[in-house]
Formats: sequence, structure tokens, C-alpha cells
Amino acid sequence: MSGIDMKSQGSDDSDYNNDTDDNMEDEDIYDGYYDAEIGDDEFEKPTEVKDPEAYDYRLLEVEDVERLLNEKIETLCTSLKLSPSLAKVLLYQHNWDTSTIQEKHTKDPNKLLIEAKVMPKTKPLRDMVISRNFSCPVCMCLCPSETVHGLACGHRFCQPCWEQYFQMQLSQGLSSGIECMGNECHVLATEDFVLDNLGKPEMRDKYSRFAFQDYVESHLELRFCPGPNCQVIVRAENPKAKRVICGKCKTSFCFKCGIEYHAPTDCSVIKKWLTKCADDSETANYISAHTKDCPKCHVCIEKNGGCNHLQCVKCKHDFCWMCLGDWKNHGSEYYECSRYKENPNIANESAHAQAREALKKYLFYFERYENHAKSLRLEEETLDKIKTRIEEKVMNNTGTWIDWQYLLDAADLLKKCRYTLQFTYPYAYYLEKGSRKTLFEYQQAQLEAEVENLSWKVERAEITDRGDLENQMDVAEKRRLTLVRDFVTE
Amino acid sequence: MANIAVQRIKREFKEVVKSEEVAECHIQVELVNDSFTELKGQIAGPPDTPYEGATFNLEIKIPETYPFNPPKVKFLTAIWHPNISSVTGAICLDILKDQWAAAMTLRTVLLSLQALLAAAEPDDPQDAVVAKQYKENHPIFLKTARHWANIYAGGTIREDDYDNRVIQLKNMGFDPHKARVALSTHNWNVERAMEHILNY
Repeated sequence: MSGIDMKSQGSDDSDYNNDTDDNMEDEDIYDGYYDAEIGDDEFEKPTEVKDPEAYDYRLLEVEDVERLLNEKIETLCTSLKLSPSLAKVLLYQHNWDTSTIQEKHTKDPNKLLIEAKVMPKTKPLRDMVISRNFSCPVCMCLCPSETVHGLACGHRFCQPCWEQYFQMQLSQGLSSGIECMGNECHVLATEDFVLDNLGKPEMRDKYSRFAFQDYVESHLELRFCPGPNCQVIVRAENPKAKRVICGKCKTSFCFKCGIEYHAPTDCSVIKKWLTKCADDSETANYISAHTKDCPKCHVCIEKNGGCNHLQCVKCKHDFCWMCLGDWKNHGSEYYECSRYKENPNIANESAHAQAREALKKYLFYFERYENHAKSLRLEEETLDKIKTRIEEKVMNNTGTWIDWQYLLDAADLLKKCRYTLQFTYPYAYYLEKGSRKTLFEYQQAQLEAEVENLSWKVERAEITDRGDLENQMDVAEKRRLTLVRDFVTE
Repeated sequence: MANIAVQRIKREFKEVVKSEEVAECHIQVELVNDSFTELKGQIAGPPDTPYEGATFNLEIKIPETYPFNPPKVKFLTAIWHPNISSVTGAICLDILKDQWAAAMTLRTVLLSLQALLAAAEPDDPQDAVVAKQYKENHPIFLKTARHWANIYAGGTIREDDYDNRVIQLKNMGFDPHKARVALSTHNWNVERAMEHILNY
């Protein structure tokens, strides 16, 4: 198996797919990359349809990235005849886009350096004669001239002051952005200058580490895996808000923003949503309590599985956990439990009523978002239950282990669908009213209905239900893909 | 306290004392204790401003990491100014925050504060109430600032009608400072100021 992520099967990168597994040369080329393969190739996708979530990326180690960055630095150094330290500043500020830098350089090399804050705006205090009794403006002591240094701006200070200053800035987490100590001077301290003035090896090391972090973060094609203590760096040559999965710590995240994957909601919207949820969580938590009463017999029910189609243990009434309505109205007809109905006369109401309506609207979406998140967590337990059930069945000679495998695949797919469904709610919350929203909510409702069907079936499947369940899986996944394809903006 | 900080303050102290601004009574620094961690500053209100003729006392605290981090400065004298809190004396000035440079000194800080008194920045306010008045009711702002400078900082120009309104509330049993704050906040409308005090 080649080390390249093969998540994007059936898509345009067929040249990778053609590499056979026993191609040993292939192994060597990608040596050092993690295997990003994930176990979601659960069923054959029709080859003619492009998977909207397919994404091409590689997992790199620190050394690989260092090599990658050094190559860029060297290229720029030779083409513009700059020192590596200057090249680093320029690349860092231009998100490692060499062509922009070269373009600016041909236009006006001085302007490029001034804008990059490595040269002062005004003429530097050139050839300031450092007399024998130079007084450093920071410590105000007389310093021997060989200990006095400065940047391109001409501000001079003694080495012990520079060293203390750099240490202080490092302790505040700064590295690439450290400026000169002069009054109103914003000239940046280049890497060679900082390292020359830092005596302690551990401080030099700290600076290099921080700077490397800055470089990776500024590079559009690179992203650190957000997993705890994970050193993996993801590289995608086509940076997009797509799901990547770290091969080492298995963290799954959005390449563009680094937080959990959130299609069909985009990065800026999910950020807004998560901030809102964090701000309002107290109220929301209070209101969306963990239990509900059966709408028929009023027995208190705690949800213990992922499915929103509930059957009361006591009175056998089938109802929807979300709206507490009769489930019969959900299945066959139009499922609209996912749609928020706005009060049409709201514009005429008082500010107080509007605020209440706004809260109501938010809670509507939040409850559904949170409910799916909770269901997802419960789905883990469901998986354990399925495993025990399969074991029991196999022990009782009801089918073989292989016969029951489809149930695990179904549980996996259910997780995936529910995940997408969860992130449709922030999207819908911020979507402007109109035909696009109507279409979105229609597709969302369709997906939700199929997911709940699947969830219900997974929890109760017998060996004879295999065909039915696989059918349901196919329908749910198609609904999910349609929604993602139609609403994920590139 | 770090060696460099003490050394710097000692030398700066000499610098300020020797400077021509001190000679002309514009700025002044005094030691509060022997450890050089705390100083008392003084600046004169700049001419052609409502603060003319007044003297403002400042608390200056020198952090351990001075001069790589800025000194902590606040007004001890109450002042009516958009960038200085009328309640706590906290100052909103860039060089006391992210624009601080190690080569800056107490002298530059005091001179910058004096310049701030002459040129307020109402779009970057510390005291939102004052800033609003500065922008929307500038004549009232000028009179209020002059009144505060007269009462708290030895400013020479009196605003008799404002004095009278404070006295009016004082005679009703209200604390004069609270009355002044409420009146200043409500553009010297006596009824609304009273309401403000009673509701607070």
C-alpha cells in the first residue's frame, strides 16, 4: 500500500490508484509519510460520480517539511541574491508564495524590503560612528564598541540588552515578529541576527522551534495536526476546507481551519457558530435537558441510543425525539422536523419578543446540532452493542462472523452520515431565507429521515435484513453526497 | 528586581531631573520608595487646553522586566478626558501597551501623556462616556474638563454654573464627587443626574 492517502478513490487521481500495492519502488519514494488510509471505503462508490469529499493530501514529518522549506528558501536566495534570513522573512510574510515575491522584487526591490519591514521607511542612520564611550540607550551603560550591534535601521544597542530583549520576547511567544528596540521602529530582527545575539543554546533552540511553527502556519499548503502532542504536518497542494485524517493520532480535522471537519458549513460560519454556542451554552444546556417525556403515556425517557425514532418501552408509542410528534407522520410523508418555522409576524413584534424569537431560533438549531453530536457519542456505544450481539449470534450459530460484517459497515456509515447531518444545522442557522435555504432544508430533511431509518434498522437488524439494510445504507449515503455536493462551496 | 531595571531607573531619574522640561516645570518624577519599583510622576496641563494651569499626579510602577516591558502608569488625579478613565485613572495609550520600545524612557512617557492631554483620541477611548460627550457635545466636554481640572488639579479657570449645580445637589445631601460624576455624565442636566444617583 502506498503511503499516499487513498481516500479519494474513484476520483481524478487515478494515476495514483494505478500504482499496485506490490510496487516496491513506490514504497521507497514515499518513505517517511504516514499511511493516511482510513477505514471508510465501506462500499463501492459508482465510478462515474466524483466524491465531493475526496481530497489529496500527504502527511509529513518535521524533517520533510524542513527540507521542503529549505528548498524554497534556497531558490529565492539564488534568484534574488538575498541572505537566507531575509528570504525567510519574505517567504513568511508572503505565505511562501515565491512568484509574488519575485514579481514585487522586479517592480521595486526597495519597496519590497520596506514593506517586509526589514528595511526602515526613512533613510537609516548610516555609519553612525560608534565612539569608544557609546552609551546603550536601553541599559544606559557605556559599552565597548565590539558589543554594539544593530539592524538595517541603524539603531544600536549592546549585545546583553539584545539578548535579554530576545529572551523576553521568546517568553511571550514571539519569534518571527520581533522588532527593533528603537523608538517607533518596526524593523524586524532577522533570524541570523537573533541567533547571533542569543548565547544560550536552549534559547537558540527555542527560537528555531517557534520560527518553524510560524513558517508552517504561514504556509498555505501546510497545517500542523491539531492532535495533542502530534508532530505530524499535513500538506495539501490545493488548500481547501476538506477533511484530513492524521495517520499517527487519527485526529480528523478540516485542512483549512484546523478544527473538526464541518461540511457543509464553511470555516468562517462554523467559527461563528462555535463561539455562539460557547457563549450561550449555559442557557442552551439548561433548556435542552437530557430527558423527555413520552408524548402519549408521559413516562420519562432517557435517550440511550443514537436513533431519533423512539419507541416508548411502556406504551409502545412510536415518536420522534426531536419534535415529539408521531413517527408515522415522519417516515412516509415529508419529513420536516429539521426545518425551523419562523414566526411570520415577527417584524411587527416588540424588541423583547424579537429577542425571544431569536433565542428560540438559535435553540432550535442548537438543540438539533447538539442532539446529533450526542447521538454520535451514543453511536459508539451502539457499535459495542452490535459487536456483542454479533458475537452472541455467531455463538448461537445464527450466521457466521462474515455474514454479520455488513452491520459494522452500516454502523460506520451511519456515523459518517450523522456527522454531516450535525454540521448541516450551523449552516442552516446562518443561511439567508430564500429558495436556496428551502432547497437546503429539503435535502437536510431527506438526509435526516434516511439517517434515522438507518439508525433504527442498525439497532434491530437480523441476519435476514441484510438486503434491506444495505439498500438503506446506499440511500442514506446518496442523500449525504448530494447535499455535500450541492452546498459545499470550494 | 532585575539589575538592569534598577540601573535604568537610577539613570533615567537623573536624566529627568536634569532635563529642561523639569526646569520649565512641565514634568517631574519623584521616588516613592528606595527599591525603585514605584515612582510618582507629575505633568502640567498643556497650554490652550482645558487642562491649562492644572497639575496631574501619576502613579508609575516599574515592572521586573523593565525596560523590555512598559512601566504601568495611571492618573492619581481625577481627570475628564476620553482616553483616561474618570473612575480609575487608567490610561489608554499605545506606547504603554504594544507600541512600547525598550529605548523609550520615563521622560518620553511623561511627554507623551502631556501630548495626549493636548490631543485626545476619542475613537480609541478608555472612558466611553467622556468620548461620547467629546464627539457629540464638544463645548460641554471642554467646560466639564476645565471644571474637573479646576476642582481636582488646581486649574485656574472656574466654571461657575457647573459649581452651582454641584452645590445644588450637595445641599440636597448628595456626595459632591458623585454629584459631579452624575452631572458630567448627563451633560449637566440636574434632574437626570439625580435620577442617575438614586438609581445607582
